[in-house]
Parts: sequence; structure tokens; C-alpha cells
Amino acid sequence: MKKFRILPLLLLWAGLAAAAWFGPERAVSEAERRPLAQMPAISGEAVLSGTFMDRFESYSLDQFPLRDGFRQLKSLFHYGVLGQRDVGGIYLTQGYAVKQEYPLREDSVAHALDRFRYLYDSYLQDCRVFAAVVPDKGYFLGGGNLQMDYERLLDMVRTGMPWAEHIDLADTLTGQDYYRTDTHWRQERLLPTAQKIADALGVRVLEDTAPRELHRSFYGVYYGQAALPMAPDSLTILESGILDGCTVYDYETGKSGPVYDLARAEGRDPYEVFLSGPKSLLTIENPAADTDRELIVFRDSFGSALVPLLVRDYARVTLVDIRYVQSPTLGRFLDFRDQDVLFLYSTLVLNNSNTMK
Amino acid sequence: MLFSSIPFLYYFLPAVLAVYFLVPKNLKNGVLLVSSLIFYGWGEPRLLGLMVFSILVFYLCGLAIEAGRHKRLWLWAAAAVSLGLLGVFKYADFFLSSVNSLTGLGLPLLRLALPVGISFYTFQGLSYCIDVYRGQVPAQKNPVSFGAYVALFPQLIAGPIVRYRDIARELDSRTHSWEDAALGARRFLVGLGKKVILADNFALLIRLFRESGQPSVLFCWMYAAAFMLNIYFDFSGYSDMAIGLGRIFGFHFIENFNYPYCSNSVTEFWRRWHMSLGSWFRDYVYIPLGGNRVSRGRWVLNILTVWMLTGLWHGAAWNFVLWGLLFAALLLAEKALPALQRLPGLLRHGYVLLAVLLSFVLFNADSLSQAAGDFAGLLGLAGLPAVTAESVYYLKSYAPLFLLGVVGATPVVKALALRVEKARLGWAAELAMTAGLLLVCTAYLVDGSFSPFLYFRF
Repeated sequence: MKKFRILPLLLLWAGLAAAAWFGPERAVSEAERRPLAQMPAISGEAVLSGTFMDRFESYSLDQFPLRDGFRQLKSLFHYGVLGQRDVGGIYLTQGYAVKQEYPLREDSVAHALDRFRYLYDSYLQDCRVFAAVVPDKGYFLGGGNLQMDYERLLDMVRTGMPWAEHIDLADTLTGQDYYRTDTHWRQERLLPTAQKIADALGVRVLEDTAPRELHRSFYGVYYGQAALPMAPDSLTILESGILDGCTVYDYETGKSGPVYDLARAEGRDPYEVFLSGPKSLLTIENPAADTDRELIVFRDSFGSALVPLLVRDYARVTLVDIRYVQSPTLGRFLDFRDQDVLFLYSTLVLNNSNTMK
Repeated sequence: MLFSSIPFLYYFLPAVLAVYFLVPKNLKNGVLLVSSLIFYGWGEPRLLGLMVFSILVFYLCGLAIEAGRHKRLWLWAAAAVSLGLLGVFKYADFFLSSVNSLTGLGLPLLRLALPVGISFYTFQGLSYCIDVYRGQVPAQKNPVSFGAYVALFPQLIAGPIVRYRDIARELDSRTHSWEDAALGARRFLVGLGKKVILADNFALLIRLFRESGQPSVLFCWMYAAAFMLNIYFDFSGYSDMAIGLGRIFGFHFIENFNYPYCSNSVTEFWRRWHMSLGSWFRDYVYIPLGGNRVSRGRWVLNILTVWMLTGLWHGAAWNFVLWGLLFAALLLAEKALPALQRLPGLLRHGYVLLAVLLSFVLFNADSLSQAAGDFAGLLGLAGLPAVTAESVYYLKSYAPLFLLGVVGATPVVKALALRVEKARLGWAAELAMTAGLLLVCTAYLVDGSFSPFLYFRF
């Protein structure tokens, strides 16, 4: 009789082992948005150095059967049974997954400011320069959880960029202006924010926009990281005739394309629909502009959704991401004259700026 | 290879079990030896030869000792070679750096990698040779069986320190049963849960403390309590897994922990904590030195020697030496002050917990200066605020885990499990619990919360 009592456990164990040994291998994880480790090649050197074992460990974790389900089970247990208030630094509040960005890394902010100073000294003396900090979701939704010292960060930015006119965006945003499962903000809710920036720049914001829902099952990056059960977001873009007429030149590929890269809405990260995702250098050409004014935006990924809303009165808008291009080489690609310049950076990137070049 | 890893749980162990139970009886020790060497070589491919060499030394010395001629010489040879290797790999740099600090010399350090489990298999091999020398066990003639004993993967890396005489009979002839397999699997999963769910999550809090940007007195105490629970669940979890695995393979290993945090004296604590190490030092060091049947001065010296060695066994650093001597002092104080035993139980229990908690702060420090900083933090002497937003947040976040840990460190859970087992359909509840443990632990491991066992470094 006793053997029958243990049999179900052994069958469960053996079944999982058999699936681990003989189950199909996956190339990528959609939820985690990353390639999965594959079976490492075995060689005498790899075994003796231990690299085969290390890689096999990664392989066995990545290819484990029902990996996404197990990750979700772990998060539920961590959150629900152990009562942890965050899972790997991500917590749920009011239906939103929020990254606990803590503590404030002043050295990181200082590094970003150092890079901005370099850009100003090297290229921007003749430009009108503006700066706006994009608060992350935690700024609005983080009550009760650990938060970075936002006031200190904003103060550092204000005092570290005395040559820029600062635009406070916090009063134009709420937590609901961000995706529930992702880092980013929702373009369809950004018109008040864009209006405030446009007012400071002395231009008009895009008008007559029409929302178009592209995706009803947008699972953002926090969904994959936290592996918590959440309903998907919908992904909506704001369409307009002006944007339809715009072309976006990509300096990396030398090709031009539309503002909204609709194919990417079906890809691994649907947010990349906005200006094709992470790009070092882009220029939006707006043939409908009444002026020849130009705007240069130093930005991170938050800029991808917002900047299209600012193109109306600019003939050219150039977006620069100095995480992907060296600041000292920018003069080779761009002609800095008397353009408007906007530094648009999120608190997340300012607090993790080590990749800024 | 770690027990608490996907490669072990779902690749190595199922394959070994399948082969082990398929081969005839006379090949089972061979399967154990080969699989143990693979298990060890997986983590330490370049140091596998060292363990094989140690096995050969103990095996040949055992035979030579039993042969009777120059038996004392062969015992000394086994001790010199094995302790020599332990000394070179584990203690040489400690000795050299201490000499450098004291004399200002610049002797170069060896910087050798510490072979995993060397302290455990050295002590096992030594105890075997001593027992053969004393005539307490016959030497093992079969090199495969002897190799399987020393390298036995269920307990190779972090104990318990299984003496040859305790499993000699089972090494040659053991039985296997569904009941043993069921009990072994249950014990293994309990240990896995202690390690993966409790110890590793306490380890996370310890890491958060070390990386904290807002240290506080409260956080220092949370750290100390977290480490106290972390080391208990880590080490006793490993012992549970070892004992459970042994049971599946037909061995009955000795217990290594018996709810040490329930002790009412430090003396009792050491009768309940890492019992196989305590009894090893008692039988092979303390008693041969004369134990307590000597003059008072000599007895004190014996105690100091044993506890200094116990500290050194745990690590080659001064904080471990001081840690051992601290316990020597506490044990001597308890002997000298029998009135302590007449204090109310709650006070005695509180004193033990506080003493052990503080001792582990010393134990876990990377250096004496870090230990001093940690103690200053605990006592509010480091200029830290009493509480910070960060420490309050983590207190709230980890309160359920602390509660679970405190209850889990008492016999309450075991008593509950026994009641459930005796209840009608208790077996079904037990099955659900063990299957749940397997799934939750797998979930943690799949998500990559990797944390090596603390006792691997000893």
C-alpha cells in the first residue's frame, strides 16, 4: 500500500525529468523577451574549465518544461504566501506593475549630467535648450513602497543644467498615464504633457489626432520580469495626417520609414511601434511644417511616444540616444546651429546612466 | 553540483536512480562511486584528482594499519597526507598572511582554490583510519566500496560527517524498500524546501542589508536574525537532503541537527547543532587529549584547543578562531557557574539565542573590522539611525518569512506533520504537501534564484 502513496510523487518527478530530458527546445522566451540558452557543445576543454557545466546550468533553467508557468508559480508564492512586497524589485499596486527604483544613485545622475554638460559645451552654445524629466510610474504609484529621492534627483538636474530651461512634467501626468504591465507611458494620454512642452518651446502640439488601437494583448516588460498574473494592456497610437506625411530617417540603416513601424507592433516588444524602438539617431522630416525650425531631442525610450506629438511646427526633429552613439562623434552626423534642443530623460535612465556615452 | 539545482534534481538524480536500481546488487557500489565522482567533478573538474588521491591514501593506509606492522606509522602517514593537503589548500594562505601581518614580511600567497568538501572527506577518511587503528572496524578490502564511502555524493560536500563504522554494514549489504524511498524522498524535499524557500530568501535579505544605502540599527538586527535563520535552514536543509538521499539508496546516516535554537544552554546548543562535527571532535580530539579526566588547567586547555580547532575547521580566518574561542568561553562559563541552570527557562533560552546570534555575526563577517562594524551597528554605536524607511519596508516585507522561519526552527512543524500523518487520509495530505514542495522549489530554481550552500566553503 505504501508504495502507492509515493507513486504519484515519483511520477510527477519523473514526468518533469522526462520532459526536461526529451522536451522540445525553445529559441526565445516571449514573456522575458530574450533568447533562451541552447544545449552547449561539449569538449574536453569546456568540461575541464567548468564552462560546459555553467552553460548547461543556464540551458537547464531556460529550457525547463513549463518555464513560464513555474516562474508565475514562484512569483505567486513569493507574493502571496511569503508575503513579500515585491518580486525581484517589481510590485503590484492598483493593478499596475511598478519597478521599485531605489535608492537614488547620485553618481549615476552626476554621470548623466556630466554627459549633458559635454553636449552643451561641445555643440549647443547657440541653441535654445530645454530639459524635462519624465517621472517613472513609481513617482505616482509608489506610496508605501521604497522610492528614490525624486526631489533630490530633480534638484540635481535643475542645478546641474543651469543653461537649460526646465519643464516640470509631473503635474501633467498620473499613474494611469502609463501601461499597467510596462515601463512606458501611453501615447494616447500624453497630449497634456506634450502641450506643456510645446508651450515652453513656443510651438503647437499636434492637433486632430485620432486614437487607433493596435494591440489588445500587449504584455509589457514588467509582466515578463515579475511573472505575475496580469491582464494585458492595449496599445494605442495617435494618428494624424501630419504624421502620415512624415518620414523618419534612420542613420544606422540609411533608410527612411514611417513614424509608426506597425510591423513592430506584432514583434517581441510592441512598444517599438513608436519610431522603431531603440535607435541611436533618427530624423523626422515634416513636409507639412510652415517653418524651417528644427528640434533636436536627446532622449531615451520615453521620447519615442512623445516626440511625434511635437512635430507640427518643426520641419525636422532629430532624436539622439547617447546610450547608443558616442557623444563626441555627433558632430560628424549633425549640424548644430540655432535649433531648439530638448533633453527628455526618464528618472529610470538618469538613475541608471552608466551606458550614456 | 548542488542538490538545489535543476541539473541535479531533473538530470543527474533521475539518471543515477534509474541506473542504480536497474543494476544487480554487486554493481550498486560501483554505480555510487562513478556517479559520486561525476557529481564532484561537475563542480570541481580540476580537483577531482585530489579527492581520488585522498581516497587511495585512506584506503591503502587502512589496509596497512590492519595488517599490523607499523600500524602507528601508517596512521600518522594518513594523518600527515590528508591534513597536509587540507593545510595547503585551506590554511596556507591564512598562515602566510598572518605571518606577513605580524612580521611585515611579504611572503607570497599560494592563492589555491579551496576544494569543495575537503574538510568533510578529510575528516571522514581520518576517522576511518583511526577506527581501524583502534580495532573498532575492519579495514574495507574492496576499493570500490571504500571509494563509494568517501565520495558518496549524498553527503560528500556538506555532511553530515558520516563515520565508516556507522555505515560499514550497509556499505557491504543493504536493503532497499518502497518505505525507505518514500521516507527518503519526503526528507529530501523537506530539506530542499528549507534551503530554497527559507534559507535562500533570508540570504536575499542579507544581501539587501549589505547593499543598503540606509543602514540602521533595526536593519542590523534584522540582518543578524536573518543570518541566524539562514545558516540554520541552509545547513540543516542540506543535512536533511543528504539523509533523505542516503535513505533512498539504503543508508541510514546519523542526524546532524535537533532543533538547536530550542536549547536552554550553549552546551545544549552544541549537542543539537552540527552533531556529527561535535561528536567527531569529542571522539578524535577531546577524549584523546584527556577530556575532563585531567587537571583543571589541562581541561581548560583541552576545551580551548577543541574549540579553536572547531572554529578553524569552519574557515581559515581569525574571525572563525575567535568564534570558536567565544564558544569555549561560554561553555567554560556554564561549567563554572552552575547557578545559570537555575535561572528561569525563558531567560536561559534568551541568553542562548542572543549568544548564538552574536556569534554568527562574528562568523559571517568577511573580516574582523567588518565584524566590529556589525557589532557597533547592533549596539547603536555606529552613529546609525534607529530605523529608516528602508528597514521598515523590509521588516514589513520579510515579517511573514521571519515568522515562518521561527516556527520552522521549532519542533512544531514536525509535530503537526505527525498529527496529519496519523489522521484519516493523512497520507493524501502528506502527498499533496511533498508534491507542492517539489513544485514550489522547482519554481524558485527555474527562476534562477541560485545560492550555493554556505557549508560548501568549509
